[in-house]
Amino acid sequence: MLSIKLAYKNLIGAGLRTWLNVFVLSLAFVIIIWHKGMLDGWDHQAKSDMIAWECGGGQYWNDKYDPNDLFTLEESHGILPQTLKELETKKEATSILISQGSIYPEGRMQSVLLKGIDPDQQILDIPSTKLKTAGSEIQVLIGEYMAKTNRLKKGDVFSMRWRTSNGAFDAADAVVAGIFKTNVPTVDAAQLWLPIETLRQMLDMPDESTILVTRQISENHPEAKGWKFQNLSILLSDVDKMIQAKSISGSILWLILMMLAMLAIFDTQVLSIFRRQKEIGTCIALGMTKGQVIRLFTIEGAMHSIFAMIVALLWGTPLLYLQAVKGITMPGDKNTYGITIADVLYPSYSLGLVASTCIIVFITTAIVSYLPSRKIAGMNPTEAIRGKIK
Amino acid sequence: MISESIITIKGLTKDFPVGSGYFRALNEVNLEFGRGEFAGLIGPSGSGKTTLLNIIGSLDTPTKGEVIVLGKDISHLNSQESASLRKEKLGFIFQSYNLLPVYTVYENVEFPLLLLNLPETERKKMVMEALEWVGLTQKVKSRPSMLSGGECQRVAIARAMVKKPIIVLADEPTANLDAENSHHILRTMATLNQELNTTFIFATHDEKVISYLKRRITLADGSLVSA
Repeated sequence: MLSIKLAYKNLIGAGLRTWLNVFVLSLAFVIIIWHKGMLDGWDHQAKSDMIAWECGGGQYWNDKYDPNDLFTLEESHGILPQTLKELETKKEATSILISQGSIYPEGRMQSVLLKGIDPDQQILDIPSTKLKTAGSEIQVLIGEYMAKTNRLKKGDVFSMRWRTSNGAFDAADAVVAGIFKTNVPTVDAAQLWLPIETLRQMLDMPDESTILVTRQISENHPEAKGWKFQNLSILLSDVDKMIQAKSISGSILWLILMMLAMLAIFDTQVLSIFRRQKEIGTCIALGMTKGQVIRLFTIEGAMHSIFAMIVALLWGTPLLYLQAVKGITMPGDKNTYGITIADVLYPSYSLGLVASTCIIVFITTAIVSYLPSRKIAGMNPTEAIRGKIK
Repeated sequence: MISESIITIKGLTKDFPVGSGYFRALNEVNLEFGRGEFAGLIGPSGSGKTTLLNIIGSLDTPTKGEVIVLGKDISHLNSQESASLRKEKLGFIFQSYNLLPVYTVYENVEFPLLLLNLPETERKKMVMEALEWVGLTQKVKSRPSMLSGGECQRVAIARAMVKKPIIVLADEPTANLDAENSHHILRTMATLNQELNTTFIFATHDEKVISYLKRRITLADGSLVSA
């Protein structure tokens, strides 16, 4: 307790020197929390968008389906077994049939994925009801990015070509029944959504599906032969990997910031021990042990981080709060990023994030403060009193 | 004749390593100090005054010989025990005051009491009493940088005396002061010596200090010339 009291007095008494260090350290605090909050916010947003638009509560995949291998699409479809059909009947899941095709907007050719979806489904956020529009052409839904890259707008008609289950090529005209806006590129880029029954007829695959998307809150995932259930941790693993990769690059920033702050503390400690040797000698003469003086200097250094937390709280809280409320607008055309990212990113600051940052910075500061303070142990107090240690 | 011996020094030798050899700062010193003495170690620079004072103050240890301070053998004290001896029984006054620069006058004088873990009310009473002894009650909130040299040394005296130690060790306390301030602080210390029966041991070659001493111990080249 005494060491804390004395350390506090010494720090306050040191004036500007203390506050400069505290400000540098508070910068590190705020930037570390902000950066991690951005990643957490992005992670949270990307995952909730992917769940809403693509993954649902998990998916059953046809055994042969591999989303990373388009050649599997020809084989990866089948009639759902009874257990899965029941889920669909109870509106606990919705089927999606996937095939390859090409479209020819304005005479150009574009390879696309044809995705059949039930227009009445309410499992995913895809506005499939727009597919219920009556007309002689095939009604299709596309995302904004797809519309932009192919210069398509609502009502545009274009030719579409595909291969049936027999391997024969077929073609028809399609009309853009609607354009939706999404942050999930995997349901937008080069994707054409059409009524599943229409696609089944086109492909000559009656009652067949490639995947079955379950409802978000559903925990009913029965075993089904020929179909494997993919839970969210598998479906969202790409996001996890991406965030992890960003976290690694972020940790370099973290390291640089911490090193800057710690360098300031270390420098101050080394200078302090050299400049304040008379004070150290006097403290020993007045009855402190070397251990107590080392503890005093270590606490002094570590206390910078406590002051920095308070200072960071004062100027960082309004700043971080403002960002959490207003968000950060992503620059340029974020659709070209190829990753799930919203127009506006909202950082997410959890208590755990703030607490862990505070603990890490405090412990690091304490260690950095202790290292130069150990020099005191080797000091001759009679020399120190006279300030004669070189 | 010493009434009550509180410091006994027998055959004290202190060597300091210099290059491959050593420098003998004290050579076979034998001395004794009693309670309430106002004594001084006199001699030119390099005679061993400060070294002897440091050993009595348990800031340094003898190379050879025995130094018993208040019943404790300095050679056999561990760092905890010697810190405890300094904290409870000894007071120090230094040539360059050695006040803690970021503390106020009050805080500087309070410091030894904080180390003794005394309650705040008691501390306050003792600090104000000590500041009264040295006539600095009006400067409690001043920092050392705002004080004159004489005032700083008076604060140092108050800090040394605040816990009413049995022994005060003063190393050249007037070296940085003018004549008027020197006499002022010497009178203060002489009064405290009489009123509190505190033993004062000076290391000095200042004639002004010497004139106040009741006992003069002369050192030359580390050896005792007269006691």
